[in-house]
Amino acid sequence: MPTANTTIPIHGPVDLLTRLDSPDPETKLKALREIKNQIIGNRTKKLSFLKLGAVPAVASILSPYATEADSQLADSDVSTSNIIVQSAAVLGSFACGFDAGVRAVLDAGSFPHLIRLLFNPDEKVVDASARSLRMIYQSKLAPKYEFVQEKNMEFLISLINSECENVTGLGASIITHSCETSAEQRALCDAGVLKKLISLLEGSLSQKNATLESLAAVFKNNPEVISKFVGLENERAVEGSLSPRDSSLESLGTVLKNNPESVSKFVGPESGSALSSIIELTKDRYARTRLLACMCLIVIRNASPNYLQDVGIKAKLVYLLLELLDDPGQVGDEAPFVFSSLVAGKEDLQKLAFEDNAVNKFCNQLQKGQLHPKRLQGILLALADLCSKLEGCRLTFLSLKVLNQVIDALTHDCADVRTSACICLRSVTRSIKNLCAGYFMNEMLVISLIRLLDDPSVSAQVAALGAISNIVVDFTTRKSTFIQCGGIKQLVQLTKSMDSTVRFNALWALKNMMFLADDRCKEGIFLELTGSLLASLICDPEPCVQEQALALVRNLVDGCIKSIEYVFAEDGILLDAVGRQLHNVSDEVGIQGMYLLGNVASGNEFHKEAVMQQLLAQADNGAQSFVIKFLQSSDSRLRTAAVWVIVNLTFPSCPGAFGRLVQLKNAGIISQIRNMVNDSCLDVKLRVRTVITQSMTFGDGLA
Amino acid sequence: MPVRVEETSSSSSTSSSSSAPSQLSGENSSGHTSPPVCTLLTVGQAFSGTQNVSSLQKDEAWRVNVRIQGCDLDHGYLCGTMEALNVPMADTPVVTFWEGEIVDGKNYTFFTGKWEASSEDDTRHWTQFPSFQPFLEQVKVDGGKSLDLINYPYIFMRWKEQYFVNVGTDCGLTIAGFYYVCFSCTDGSINGFYYDPNSSPFQKLELKSTNEGRSGFSFSSYELQ
Repeated sequence: MPTANTTIPIHGPVDLLTRLDSPDPETKLKALREIKNQIIGNRTKKLSFLKLGAVPAVASILSPYATEADSQLADSDVSTSNIIVQSAAVLGSFACGFDAGVRAVLDAGSFPHLIRLLFNPDEKVVDASARSLRMIYQSKLAPKYEFVQEKNMEFLISLINSECENVTGLGASIITHSCETSAEQRALCDAGVLKKLISLLEGSLSQKNATLESLAAVFKNNPEVISKFVGLENERAVEGSLSPRDSSLESLGTVLKNNPESVSKFVGPESGSALSSIIELTKDRYARTRLLACMCLIVIRNASPNYLQDVGIKAKLVYLLLELLDDPGQVGDEAPFVFSSLVAGKEDLQKLAFEDNAVNKFCNQLQKGQLHPKRLQGILLALADLCSKLEGCRLTFLSLKVLNQVIDALTHDCADVRTSACICLRSVTRSIKNLCAGYFMNEMLVISLIRLLDDPSVSAQVAALGAISNIVVDFTTRKSTFIQCGGIKQLVQLTKSMDSTVRFNALWALKNMMFLADDRCKEGIFLELTGSLLASLICDPEPCVQEQALALVRNLVDGCIKSIEYVFAEDGILLDAVGRQLHNVSDEVGIQGMYLLGNVASGNEFHKEAVMQQLLAQADNGAQSFVIKFLQSSDSRLRTAAVWVIVNLTFPSCPGAFGRLVQLKNAGIISQIRNMVNDSCLDVKLRVRTVITQSMTFGDGLA
Repeated sequence: MPVRVEETSSSSSTSSSSSAPSQLSGENSSGHTSPPVCTLLTVGQAFSGTQNVSSLQKDEAWRVNVRIQGCDLDHGYLCGTMEALNVPMADTPVVTFWEGEIVDGKNYTFFTGKWEASSEDDTRHWTQFPSFQPFLEQVKVDGGKSLDLINYPYIFMRWKEQYFVNVGTDCGLTIAGFYYVCFSCTDGSINGFYYDPNSSPFQKLELKSTNEGRSGFSFSSYELQ
């Protein structure tokens, strides 16, 4: 049966913006409401309104009210109040989860106006302003709030002490956004903010969530604050149960006083009520609260080795986060990142997660396809962390046949996803067993990675170099795949980058490629690199670049004896650069330099004499040779490398060995070696004995 | 190095992930230190020598080349390739990939605990190495868990071949067994005994560090990111 059409007409954006200008307060209010309703949760609508200049239009409605004196505002009528509330709400909606909206609100100058409205006598105005500001503070674009200044701290404390939920939430959001340094963490702690935040954990859902996030910001990497947090709550627990009859508690106080070790034992996960309340929230009915509680506990655990170390809580965190991965929304998108923060760099947790089928669960998600970029990024990073140390994880990953999905992610539109895919591949390709089998040298993977070397994102470039560095350690003869795909040209090009991280990583990849490479491969790389470029990289201002360049040349001159000739190309530019550089370098650079010289010294007479020249160049001028400094180094790896050079220079059955021995003795090098006969490092000791044995073949007197 | 399948009675199994040495079987890290870092046992180092595969019927030795491809001392892990050169039934040299467990008292003890090797088998093989003698009594007690091997100039290992690199599994050879290995830090020489309950006992592996035509020692390196 037909009925009368009573649907409220929906106005287009242009029409609504015209209505905002209406002198009639009722029309203005209706337009504001309609805009708000249209844009809530709708990015497309937000964008179209944004393009039409809706944000400055709404900001201009709010602005006069925010700049009026409070006394005048107190007298404002209901419709004025409603207009302020709706304007603030519209601005908040634009800012909600939408960085372009946040930028527009900030550009329109609404931020200070919204802050000012927090002092409005009308509670609804305060609530709406606080809500909008919260939305802004959820974005990285929000301005940092300098709460360390006394007045600002007072204001912040007044916010978290408020009765209004959105206002306390705003206070927590400000902390989450603006608390970055340990001084800021300490300032909040000293101002008594922790106590208030703990009480907010018992508040509404939004208060709980905002508080957990802010606590994580206050705790991050700050064991001192964490210890105060736990201690503070424990104090409360003790106070609460103290009775005149209970003298045992008093004695407990005596035991704990000024004894951090006892305190830390006492405030274990069970006894600290603050920790217990966060642990309790991991069982909350709301997934987001569970996720944030996990995040908070992980921050505590990562910063403070005294707490939450027992296997039960570790296993629980792993289990909870894997479960949260199934959430189809934002929680599921964020869970892999929190998981990564739990397992990154921690083999025990990776093992626990592996036993809980974490690799299978993340791979299952990958197989679903069409994932939100954020979720895909998180999953790839979580898999990267899981496979970073454990071969078992890598083998499981490879057995689940998701390598193609990761290769697809290398060409994803989002740079963060491309970067994460490279990081994931970098971890998986640490499997020497599969490297040896040539498993990773497939064209699809190699071509995609080489393309990323041209990526506009430097992070993606560097991450691709990381994966390539591993893949080119190919023990079979399949290095040619990489060469045929134009990989060497690209890598060499990147060694000329202005960015030292890029130069460093490109050289790392070339060094690995040079490891046990055949003559053709070596020649191809050297022709592209040239002696003069290599010499300049050996003398790079960054020591890490110098180290990689020297290690590359070390591999270049290893293997077939004729490879040594490379260092004599272009009038010995390379060898001269090495000799010059070694006079003043760090231990790490020295180690590579000495192995390089050692490899050259393992060649023929001409090669050995060239090394002698470099070693004794300074000694001829009366100065001490750098070899003596290296032999006296506290780093046994450097001492070992230096002794190997001498072993090779005095290698028996070489015609010039005796002459070199005399020269080394005259330079004080042999007597230094003799002093090392009981070196604390076995490897050094054994090589020193080799030198002594070799020298004895020429007669005791000389040695 | 692979051996002939004919020598085995029932076993034709090659490698499986379950039989692979775990790279990460660390039980505790307290009170133990890694064995000496020896430059002659680092990635890229090459060794050559022979494996005696003599049986009752005839004396026979195959030439063998070994190269270290990976090393992770924290986890007592070593791996590499082994090339058998004059295998009678193969047209080309047969290359296998092996993974090794370094006996460091932390990740691994002298007791194998798998690959069909009992503690008696272990003791019988380890005692073939004169450099093992000082440890015998303690090994009987706890497998050598409490021994301090840090300054000992020998490194004891087990090498287990995992797969054939250049031939199929139908090549008529088996890699079912594993090696008890003793490495000398002094000169880089390697002695080993192949153990497979189904093969001739005590097949001896003897390798020496090679300098590949050089008058001295050369060292290359790679690092995984």
